[in-house]
Amino acid sequence: MFLVALIKSLFITLVVVGFFLPILTWVERKQSALMQDRIGANRASLAGVSILGLLHPVADVLKLMSKENAVPGGANRLLHLMAPLIAAIPVIAAFAVIPYGGNYRFGAGELSLVAADIDWGVLYVFAIASLASFGAVLAGWASNNNWSLLGGIRAAAQMISYEVTMGLTLVPLFMVFGTLRLTQMGEAQDTVVPAFAFLRIFGLDGLPTLLQAISIPAWGLFLNPPAFILFLTCIMAENKRPPFDLPESESELVAGYSTEYSGMRFGLFYLSEFIQVVVVAGLVTAIFLGGWTIPWLSQAEIIGAIEPWFGESVATGACLLFHVTSFFAKVAFVIWLQMLIRWSLPRFRYDQLMDLCWKVILPASLLNIFATAFVMLALGDVR
Amino acid sequence: MPGGVIVVERREGLGLAERLYLPMLARGLWVSARHFFRNLRGFVTGKNRRDFVVQYPEERVDYADAFRGVPVLVEREEGGPRCVACGLCELACPTCCIRIEAGELPDASGERHPVRFDLDLARCMFCGLCEEVCPVEAIVMSRSVEMAAFDRASLLFDKRALLVPAALVKRRLDFLSKGYERPRDADGERAG
Repeated sequence: MFLVALIKSLFITLVVVGFFLPILTWVERKQSALMQDRIGANRASLAGVSILGLLHPVADVLKLMSKENAVPGGANRLLHLMAPLIAAIPVIAAFAVIPYGGNYRFGAGELSLVAADIDWGVLYVFAIASLASFGAVLAGWASNNNWSLLGGIRAAAQMISYEVTMGLTLVPLFMVFGTLRLTQMGEAQDTVVPAFAFLRIFGLDGLPTLLQAISIPAWGLFLNPPAFILFLTCIMAENKRPPFDLPESESELVAGYSTEYSGMRFGLFYLSEFIQVVVVAGLVTAIFLGGWTIPWLSQAEIIGAIEPWFGESVATGACLLFHVTSFFAKVAFVIWLQMLIRWSLPRFRYDQLMDLCWKVILPASLLNIFATAFVMLALGDVR
Repeated sequence: MPGGVIVVERREGLGLAERLYLPMLARGLWVSARHFFRNLRGFVTGKNRRDFVVQYPEERVDYADAFRGVPVLVEREEGGPRCVACGLCELACPTCCIRIEAGELPDASGERHPVRFDLDLARCMFCGLCEEVCPVEAIVMSRSVEMAAFDRASLLFDKRALLVPAALVKRRLDFLSKGYERPRDADGERAG
């Protein structure tokens, strides 16, 4: 059992750190280039071959590794060296509870594709995410630099504010799914709901049969669209990337909390930022985009379709592959969406950032909780 | 004009959609996503890409004739600079980067010419005043911009280094002559 858990953790770590992380630095450069009518990184080459600039991550890492790691005078040496690690390690750990596949039965054994299937999975992610903010805060404080300190303070204020609202934005989803466990949320989304069932709130019961026949996947996105927008905003703000990159806003604070960092320790901040992009994508996928599920095709349907030809274990294995592929395809889409937002919107002003959090998202998410409760009462159970 | 000209109508103040933010946010994302997909298609098919990137060392931009690059001395057909060492450019130069020592040509004509003509590119600010005051169009601004050096000494250009055949700066000379609106003969000398 321990071995299986170890293999599952290794798999997800390898996929995230080994594949998504290097490819994301490249994706960010290429996607921004395409969005801005540019070509993007294409110069790093090995023996004259540059493969669309895919060697740039390698070049970046080599450069960062070979650079001097300077600690400024008067800095708290221990904390200054530790801060990047504090920023980077929790975000990798956050992936432990995000399921990248369902629960599969092979003969007598069972395989659940999540490293740690804990009861309060979402809360674990929030707790871990707030740990990561210590990295930025400590880096800002330990650097003995005014820019860094301002960046650190901003990071603290921003992340604390958005953590509060982030929890509230998800409450409607907890109500709809009736669970905090991410695997159960995924299973609950592996079905369809009638698309126009919500019209019953307005007393429209006698719908035409055609409309009644239309069904949509029971994804969190369709069950509660406002929560999706609110949550995505909050978690992107939590990630400190543009348009919410006030802690390091380079036009005001040089580089904020990472001003005094060089070499691979600077790289670690970037690493944690990119892993966080993947974690955000994984979380949004698991809660709002049906996780590993394939729309309109439930697990039982997939296995049932393949089983007559190849037997049950092959069918289950194929279903597992489809599901994992589906999960990572959705993750890739959400990453793309995040990059699109990151390269489209200008940075918020600090007061706008706080206004958005406390005056817009907080009331809106509270309203959404009550609205969801009302709808659930009016509809009974939609599923 | 690459990409065509887009006329933007600016409205002062925020409308309802701007204040609600989300509709305009969606519109903004739509614009950049459209660019992304159009260029992605071009990226894959190699056609219809809209990037404006010049891959510099391999590709160059043809600067406009009015562009002011490194100042050069125009060479006469029989050799030697056109310069008559009048010293006007030395006087006009705001950064005092030109230094001229005048002398007479050793041949029968005995014309004035610069024995030394030094130009310190490290100080030059490419204003083009030297070119403007020059009575004989001997110093003109070329379109060259590549002058990086590892030390200041190698930015001090002497007469020989500055000398450029008239054919190479013909476009600039033609451009300048437009300002005078007086025709020139085959030798490049102005009539009158």
